[in-house]
Amino acid sequence: MADLPLAGIRVLDFTWAWAGPFCTMQLAHLGAEVIRVETTARPACVTRLIPPFADDVPGPNRAGYFNQYNQGKKAITLNLTKPEAIEIALALAKHADVVTDNYAAGVMDKLGLGYDKLRTVKPDIIMISMSGYGQTGPYKGFVGYGPPASAACGMFYATGYEGGDPGEIGVSYPDPNAGIFGAFAIMAALTHRALTGEGQYIDQSQLETALVLMPEGLLQYDLAKHEPERHGNHDPVMAPHDCYKAAGDDEKWVSIAVGTEAEWSSLCHAIGQPQLADDPRFKTQALRKQNEAALDQIITTWTSARDRWESTRILQAAGVAAFPSMGNKDLAEDPHLTERGYLVQLEHPEVGKRVHAGIPWKMSGTPTSVRKPAPIRGADTEEVLKSLLGFTLDRIEQLRKSEVLI
Amino acid sequence: MENNAKTPFSAIKVVECGEGIPAAFGAKMLADLGAEVIKVESPEGDLARRRGPFPGDAVDPERSGIFIYLNTNKRGVVADLKRPEGRELLGKLIADADVLIHNVPPPERAAQGLDSAALCAAHPKLIVTSISIFGDTGPYANWRGYDLTVANAGGWAYLSPGASPFADQPPLKCFGSQGDFQGGVTAAMLTLAAYMNRLKTGKGQAIDVSEQECIAAMLEMNLMHWTYAHRETSRLGSRLLGPWFIADCADGKIFALAVEEEQWKRLVELMGNPEWASEDLFKDRIARGQNQDALKALMGEWLSQWKVQDLYREAQKRRIPFAPVNTMRDLYESEHLSERDFFVPIEQPGVGTVRLPGMPSKYARSQWALRRPAPRLGEHTEEVFCGEFGVTRDRLVELRKAGIA
Repeated sequence: MADLPLAGIRVLDFTWAWAGPFCTMQLAHLGAEVIRVETTARPACVTRLIPPFADDVPGPNRAGYFNQYNQGKKAITLNLTKPEAIEIALALAKHADVVTDNYAAGVMDKLGLGYDKLRTVKPDIIMISMSGYGQTGPYKGFVGYGPPASAACGMFYATGYEGGDPGEIGVSYPDPNAGIFGAFAIMAALTHRALTGEGQYIDQSQLETALVLMPEGLLQYDLAKHEPERHGNHDPVMAPHDCYKAAGDDEKWVSIAVGTEAEWSSLCHAIGQPQLADDPRFKTQALRKQNEAALDQIITTWTSARDRWESTRILQAAGVAAFPSMGNKDLAEDPHLTERGYLVQLEHPEVGKRVHAGIPWKMSGTPTSVRKPAPIRGADTEEVLKSLLGFTLDRIEQLRKSEVLI
Repeated sequence: MENNAKTPFSAIKVVECGEGIPAAFGAKMLADLGAEVIKVESPEGDLARRRGPFPGDAVDPERSGIFIYLNTNKRGVVADLKRPEGRELLGKLIADADVLIHNVPPPERAAQGLDSAALCAAHPKLIVTSISIFGDTGPYANWRGYDLTVANAGGWAYLSPGASPFADQPPLKCFGSQGDFQGGVTAAMLTLAAYMNRLKTGKGQAIDVSEQECIAAMLEMNLMHWTYAHRETSRLGSRLLGPWFIADCADGKIFALAVEEEQWKRLVELMGNPEWASEDLFKDRIARGQNQDALKALMGEWLSQWKVQDLYREAQKRRIPFAPVNTMRDLYESEHLSERDFFVPIEQPGVGTVRLPGMPSKYARSQWALRRPAPRLGEHTEEVFCGEFGVTRDRLVELRKAGIA
C-alpha cells in the first residue's frame, strides 16, 4: 500500500481544548505521527472533563469529546512546570517537523518553547500558534474561546430568525474552523519546506480564521454600506429556501432550497401542484422571493403531511434539493454515511467499541483511514522517550517520581 | 496594483471549474500563496457573480462582492463544458495543469469531461480534487443540495440556535455559506497533501470531499452524546454551563461567558460582589447553566449600564472571556484588526477600492498576497487560449460566435 501523504512527518502537539486537537487530527489522518503532550499535574484538557462519558461513567479516557477529536494520535505526559520537562520537550522538538500550540499569545515563549528557541534545536522546524486574537495587536492578550469568537466575528450578529435578535449558532464553530485552517497552514508550510528547505512560524488568530468566512456580510457593509439583515433560513436570492415542519413529533423538519427555474418547475410537479409553475405570484425567482410567505405556507402544508424522508425522496427524485434536518441519532445511523465509511467503529481500550465521525474525504492514491482510537492519557510516554530519546526504563521511572513525566 | 512576483507556490498550476463558493474558495487558498490559477466559467458566468453583495445593492455580474473576494489572484477564461469544443479547450488546460479543482455535482461530471477516474487514467500526474454536497459515492451521491442542505444534512442546523427558547421555530442555519467554505478549505488542504505526495512519488490522484461530512465532523460532542450515552441533542434545552448568553449593554450587545470557576469569581468581583451571586442557584458553572434565565435577569441591569467596548476591556483585563456581538462596521473599525492589517484593500476595475477579508494565517515566510483583482467574465480567454495554448484568433472568434468561449 502507498505511503500516506504525511508519512514520516512528526508533530509535537501542545494543543488543548478543541481547535488545536481538531487541527492535528487532520494531520494524523493524513499519516503524520502526532505526539500529544499532556499532564496530570493540572486539570486535564477540558474535552476530557465534560460529558458525554461512555455509559455516563466519568473518566478522562471515557469522554466522547476527547475521543472524537484525538483519533490516530499518541499521548505522552510531560509536566511543563518542571525545567527538566522543558529540556525533554526541546529534545523531542529536535526530532519533530511541526510543533503546534493553541495557548494564549506568548505562553510558549514564557515556557522556553517559543519559535526562536525551537529553531535553535531544529532550524527548519515549522511552528503554528493558534491563539484567540493572534500574537500581535492590542487584543493579543485577550482570552478567546469558540463561542465568544462567534460573537466577535459577526456571526451572531448576522444569524437569527426573521426580525429577531442576534442568535447563537449552536456549536462552537470557530474552534474546528481554526483547526482546519491551521491544518491548511501547516500543509502550506510543509509544501514550502519541501520546495525550498525553509521552515517557518505561523501566527494564527481564531478571530481572523472566522472572519474569512464572513465575506457576504462584511462586503455588504463595505460595498452597500448597510449591515446584513437576519432572515432565518431564507436566502437573499433563492426562494423557497427554508427548513419546513414535517409530520411526526414536534422535532421533525425538512430543508428545501430551490435555486433554478427548472428546480421550481420540478418542485411544483413533485408536490402535485403543477398549476403553481404558472402562478403569476411565483413566475420568477424575484417574484417567489417577494411572495415568499405565501410560498412557505403552501410548502409547509405539503411537508407537514408527510414524513421528512418521504418528502426528501419525492423531491430529490425530481431533482430538488431537500434533506431532513439531522439530529445526532439520525447521523449515527445514517446508511449513506455508513456506506461511505465515514462512520467508524473504533475499539478503545476503556470504552470499547463506539461509533465516531471519521474522515470527510477520500483519496484514491493514498487512501486514508482512522488508524487508531484516541489515546489513553500518557499511553505512549515510554515508547516515545525510549525510541526517540533513548531513555531507559529506570530513567523514566525516576522522572515519574520527580513529577516530570506526569 | 498587479504584482506578479513569483513564490515557491507559483510552480503549482491549478485549473478551477464549478459554480459558487466551494472550488473557488479552495483555489483561492492556493492562489493567495502564489499558485497559478485559471478559473473556467460558463458563458453565463459563475453563479457567484449574480449573488452579490453589490455596490448600492444594484445587481451587476462584474461588481459582485462575493465573486471578487473568491477570485482575486486568478485569471478567468470562458469555456462551455456542455459542448465538445468547450471540453476540448478545458482539455488543453488540464494537460498542462498540476491540479484540477471543481465542485461540479457527481451526476453532471461525465458529460462535462470531469469524471475523476477517467481524468486520472489519462493524466497520471494530475491531482483531481472534487467537492460535492454528499461525496462521490453512497446512496445520496447524486442528490442535489445547496448550503442550506449541508447545514441540515450535516446536523448543524438541528443544534442551532443553542439553548433556544423558540420551540416552534425551525432549526436555524448559520449566516453565510459555511458548508461551502468548509468544503473549500478542506479541499485546499488535501490538494497540498496530494501535491507533497506527488513530489515524492510522481503520481497524482483523485480526492473526494463531502461537505456533509465536513460539517458532521464539527458538531462538538453531539454525535457522541448518542454513541456514548444514548442521548439525543437539539437546539432546545439548557446550556452546559453559565453564564453563557447574549445581553444588552447601553450601546449594543455583548456575549457574556465564564467557563472556568476562577473566571466567574473575577466576574462577581467586577459586578461588585452582589449578594445573589452566592446563592445556591449559581453555586457552580453547571448550576449557572441550568439556572441561566434567573442569572441573566439578575445580571441584566448591571450589564445594561455598560458600554460594550468598556465592558469588553474591563472583563478581558480580568481574563473573563466576554466578546462584543460585533457588527460588520465594528469589524471594519476595529483597532486590533487594523493593527494586524487584516482587511486588504484592492482596486477592482469598475468598482473601486474593496476592503477584502485577508490572511487567515500569518506566515513568516510564505508570501500571502492579493496580487491581482478578480477577472471580468472571459477577461483572459484570449490571453490564455491564444497566447499560451495555440488556439488561433480566428478559431476563438468562431468559438465566441457559437457561444462556447
